[in-house]
Amino acid sequence: MGTLIRVLGFSLGLTLVFSLVANLLPQVEGEAPKDEVIDMDSLDMDGFVSFGEAVFAGKGTCTLCHNDMGRAPDLLNMDVVKASQDRLEDHRYVGQASSVEEYLRESLVAPGEYVVVGFGKKGSNDSESPMPKVDAAPIQLSEFEIDSIVAYLQAKDGHEVTVALPTLPEEEESLTQPVAVPAAPVAAATAEQALAQYGCSACHSVLSTESPVGPDLRDVGSRLSAAQIRQSIIDPMAVIAEGYPPIMPTSLVDQMMVSELELLVNFLSNQTQ
Amino acid sequence: MKPNHHPEGYAEIGQQWARRAFNTMFWAMLMMLVLGMLGIASEYTSMGSAWAAEEAVNLSAGAPEIQTVDYPKIGFSSRSVVWIAAQMHLFFAAFVLAVPLFVVVIEWIGVKSGDERYDDMAHEFMKVSMTAYSITALFGGLLAFALFLLYPHFMGYMTRVFDTQMLWYALLFFAESAILYIYYYSWQALRYGNRKWVHLSFGIGLNVVGTSLLFIANAWATFMMAPSGIDMASGAVTGNIWEIMRGPLWNPVNLHRFIANIAFGGAVVGAYAGYKLLSAKTLSERAHYDWMGYTSNFIAVLAFLPLPFAGYWLMAEIYAYSQQMGITAMGGILAWLFIVQAVLIGTILLASNYYLWSGMSRTEGSLRYQWMIKYIAVVLVLGFLVWVTPHTLILRASEVAALGGSHHHLLGPLGIMPAKNIAVNLMLIATFLSFQLYRRSDKQVTVSWAAWGNAFIVAIYLIAILNIIFAGIYYGYFTNTVYKVGSSVTQVVSTLVVIVAGVLIDSFMFKKAKILPSVWGQVSNRSQYALFALPVAFTWLMALMGYVRSSVRTHWHVYSVVKDNSVDNYIPAIGYAGNMMTIVTVLFLLCILFIFWIASLSNTKQIPPIKSEGH
Amino acid sequence: MMQRQKGNRLIMWIVAIGITVVFFYGLNQFIMSAQGLPLNLDLTPAQ
Repeated sequence: MGTLIRVLGFSLGLTLVFSLVANLLPQVEGEAPKDEVIDMDSLDMDGFVSFGEAVFAGKGTCTLCHNDMGRAPDLLNMDVVKASQDRLEDHRYVGQASSVEEYLRESLVAPGEYVVVGFGKKGSNDSESPMPKVDAAPIQLSEFEIDSIVAYLQAKDGHEVTVALPTLPEEEESLTQPVAVPAAPVAAATAEQALAQYGCSACHSVLSTESPVGPDLRDVGSRLSAAQIRQSIIDPMAVIAEGYPPIMPTSLVDQMMVSELELLVNFLSNQTQ
Repeated sequence: MKPNHHPEGYAEIGQQWARRAFNTMFWAMLMMLVLGMLGIASEYTSMGSAWAAEEAVNLSAGAPEIQTVDYPKIGFSSRSVVWIAAQMHLFFAAFVLAVPLFVVVIEWIGVKSGDERYDDMAHEFMKVSMTAYSITALFGGLLAFALFLLYPHFMGYMTRVFDTQMLWYALLFFAESAILYIYYYSWQALRYGNRKWVHLSFGIGLNVVGTSLLFIANAWATFMMAPSGIDMASGAVTGNIWEIMRGPLWNPVNLHRFIANIAFGGAVVGAYAGYKLLSAKTLSERAHYDWMGYTSNFIAVLAFLPLPFAGYWLMAEIYAYSQQMGITAMGGILAWLFIVQAVLIGTILLASNYYLWSGMSRTEGSLRYQWMIKYIAVVLVLGFLVWVTPHTLILRASEVAALGGSHHHLLGPLGIMPAKNIAVNLMLIATFLSFQLYRRSDKQVTVSWAAWGNAFIVAIYLIAILNIIFAGIYYGYFTNTVYKVGSSVTQVVSTLVVIVAGVLIDSFMFKKAKILPSVWGQVSNRSQYALFALPVAFTWLMALMGYVRSSVRTHWHVYSVVKDNSVDNYIPAIGYAGNMMTIVTVLFLLCILFIFWIASLSNTKQIPPIKSEGH
Repeated sequence: MMQRQKGNRLIMWIVAIGITVVFFYGLNQFIMSAQGLPLNLDLTPAQ
């Protein structure tokens, strides 16, 4: 009996050690893309570009490969428009595009047309692209989403956006993460109003709602200083909380009024639950 | 009258031919039976689909579009139910497929060497496996019912795709059961001479059928990950059953599971041996189970060594099929999992090495190798530390600011694959060295070319290690991605060269070697716990890899064909998954204890009561 | 006598290591080119 207890105890103990290791690591859930409604009437170019940025990091799953690890061109850290112009002039280019916008769109829906040197499939001598077609399964981006990504890639380095803003009224559009609701003309009077106005609870757990997308704000005051909270709102890409996707809208700095910003910073600094 | 000077000579030759013929015939017959069944299945499949098309009721040719409301609800997470049922079934299926594989080999060694102990041990292993066979079927039934109840539309699609192949799978179990019962129960009846070869043929047949079952079931899982034989846009079946089964991931999974099953089976019977040794009452019992434990560990380690290569092939095929799927597994949301895997494999390597070192105390010839153990231990620990180093660190915003970035400038480079490949390959070589030293411990080599042989072995170890380090550092950090990835193949082959060369050279060097005496049974009790650590780690590791395999499909039942719209269509966080793995591991441990107990119970005889006299 | 034995031993080691180095060099060349990743004579990437 003693043997049985010792053996069982040892085996259970070891199992629990493994369980403990799994529970100590950053806990991230892989959400499936959700369908949401987008308000076409109030959509402006800034919102469209932000939306494209969100798709780039979210449903498009672009950042899986397009990062600094060397698998695919590091789009976020290079001037995409300039690179596209260079590629169009490359003697190896045999695609159908004649403008940067067409090149970008072609790269998304027909990535095999032209493979940048050094990024082809192993053994294919850069003749086959490992990139999937984004308008087919499993990514299945819509026309709207593809256009928004092109717009984002043009806008992010300060170039002119040549993509036309979609104006046709659409019944529904799919997007991964909800876009921040555009600013109301009147300044919010309380932090709670500001939170509601800028749709923070869509991604963050705050007040009485919960969301797993972004860091929990109900105790943010004990993690970040007021200056860090302010920076997170003004420049969300400066520091990304570990384990979270870099998808917080960067347009709040343009939309929010200073009074609303200070209301939020004060409120969140006191969230130390 | 024909002169017959050696009547027994002719009879013996006749017997030899009889047994060879029987052996070959039986094997060929079974192979043909299995292949024939699968071949017929393909015929019927194409016919079956034609018949199905004539029915007009609700049979869309393509994949179903399942809405969230379509999923049946039982008040309990459907995914958890299927998760547990599937994982338990896979544990036991792996075990009952593995045991006959090494039992037949041990039985054959018994015939070749004439040593009865091998035959007895083989028989004892089979006894343990018999109860497990029933439990496999029980969980299989539970899994099937759970799948059809909770995911009817998905299963409707799968049955439409795989058609009669599923029926053949079920029918094959009749062959499996029949051969299994014959193999086990005829053990003493077909014990010697010609009959023994017949018995071995049944063993081979059992393995052929078992492997066929494994390959058929693997096709379902790999189809879900990388579908083939269908129109990708609509999901409609366009190919025959072979095209459906032979997707890009089928053979990598076949190879990986075949080898991994053997390692897992060896680990589990090792736990049986360890447990029996600790509860042994006599010295001869201890000796018997010490030897059994050594054999089991031998099997587990031998099968474990090529496993990373099979896993590597699988990952490479996943990357080739869909770079996105590959990166999701190892560079995206599931990346941390492979750090947990490092912990588990570190446990496995340390435990099996420790057991080998403890075992070296059985012979005096081990003393000349003792000095190497500490270096092997250092390599293992360092390798483990490098392997477990993550690329992305768990940091708070303030820590990122202090560090000057999200990656450590020293540890960051250790967190990527080139460093880990160096670590893994060196750990495998170190483990093989422990193995080789143990095998040499009880032998005194007598061949004339021993010095040359040893020189080559040392040279191969040295140059292979240097090659692995060179390939990892140069191609890993100083060339582009495709060369970096390609160099890992050279590393892996270098390790394989060490293993193959070591085994080959040693097998020739040991010819006519003087065998030093081994003392069985006096090994420390502490070392037996290594035999428990092995199956626990293996079991948890299997569950972990199952979690990866399922999650890599993200929100798809059948990747990019049948979307998962259930409430559980997200990848669960690793903590939750870890808890599920612990649940199934504990469940498995309890079932295994039950199985060991049943095996002992069948040997227990109650003493009949003494009848009182004169009343 | 001892000198000759030691000399023989040295030759043995040099030969063993030499053959092994050549073998692994050839292995590297073969495996990389089989994957469509040819190497130069000094083992640097040729593409």
